[in-house]
Amino acid sequence: MPQLNPEFFVSQLFWLAVFFTFLLVFLWRVSLPRIATVLEKRQNKIDENLSSAKELQEKAMDIEKKINDQINKAKLETDEKIKETINTLQEDVSSQLSLLDKDLEKKVSDAEKEILKSKDDQMKNINNEIANITKLTVGKITDIELSDNELNKVIQTHKGSFN
Amino acid sequence: MAAKDSPLKQFEIDPISNIELAGYNISFTNSSFSMLITVLAITLFLTLTVNTKSIIPSRMQLVSELMYNFIAQLLSDTVGDNGKKYFPFVFSIFMFVLIGNMVGMIPYQFTFTSHIIVTFALAAVVFIGVTILGFVNHGIKFFTFFYIPGVPFYMHPLLIPIEVISYLSRPISLSVRLFANMLAGHTLLKVFAGFVVSMPFFTGVFPLAFIVALTGLEILIAFLQAYVFAILTCLYINDAYHLH
Repeated sequence: MPQLNPEFFVSQLFWLAVFFTFLLVFLWRVSLPRIATVLEKRQNKIDENLSSAKELQEKAMDIEKKINDQINKAKLETDEKIKETINTLQEDVSSQLSLLDKDLEKKVSDAEKEILKSKDDQMKNINNEIANITKLTVGKITDIELSDNELNKVIQTHKGSFN
Repeated sequence: MAAKDSPLKQFEIDPISNIELAGYNISFTNSSFSMLITVLAITLFLTLTVNTKSIIPSRMQLVSELMYNFIAQLLSDTVGDNGKKYFPFVFSIFMFVLIGNMVGMIPYQFTFTSHIIVTFALAAVVFIGVTILGFVNHGIKFFTFFYIPGVPFYMHPLLIPIEVISYLSRPISLSVRLFANMLAGHTLLKVFAGFVVSMPFFTGVFPLAFIVALTGLEILIAFLQAYVFAILTCLYINDAYHLH
């Protein structure tokens, strides 16, 4: 078994010592600190990002709260304004309506007066027309020329029976 | 044993260049070459894949970080905060054994972890280091490590020698475990490789298929043995801090 041949024991031990010592010192002084630095740097970066993310989250929550508050405030204000507007509009409408009512009443009474007046006028005209027609008719039928006074007298006498 | 086709031939050491220092033969051999490749692979990989400026790691950098975190986690789970000081040592041991085993899986490459002298030297470093650590931490009280509290007094004459023997056999069990696993695995692969050649007609396909499966298993064992070596080192360091 070559493992038990002592011929190369010293050589193996010597080179093992050389290479293992080199490996140990190199890893200890160069490689491992480099990896440790990288890992530490990454951990720091992660921590930093996490803390800034937390901060941003808090800020976002604050902003959200502010926005909600403002929305609520704006809603209340709007409601109030809508109510106010409705009230003023209602007042306006009712005053306008009452004005319109008065106006209409006045116009109706004026119209009534005018109607009465025109009725009277018409009645007068009808009387005249009756007199004229009667005069013409009597003239045509009887050749009697009636004077206006006579005619009026007759009409006045029989006026009751016209109505 | 050193016949031409012996499955153990792969463990023979061949000098690449003969060097002598103070009367000792310290030739640069195929074993030394494997160690050189292992050390170069580890140092280059861990240095070149890690870019200290990038926050997001590349895939290769992720592998380096994975190894780092794996051993860091292992050490903190077994030893706790005291273990941080020994991280470079445990990491070096783990990487050296792991990559040494893996380099051995490359065909025609020498497996230096299959040599008892190498594994024993590594285990001895751990054993001596941990023993010194125990004395530094606890002084003479370190010997109470062999005294098991809560046992009837008449049992101590039996238990204390057992404890001492089990403590002293730590480097042996640690080194033989790794050495024997590597030796057995590579021998088995070589034996089946011999079957592939010597079996008639196409029947050599069966041992070949077996070799493919065994290679997968060997890679698993390569990792597992490195892990066992590292975790036992951690446990021994822990014992040096907490006697019971």
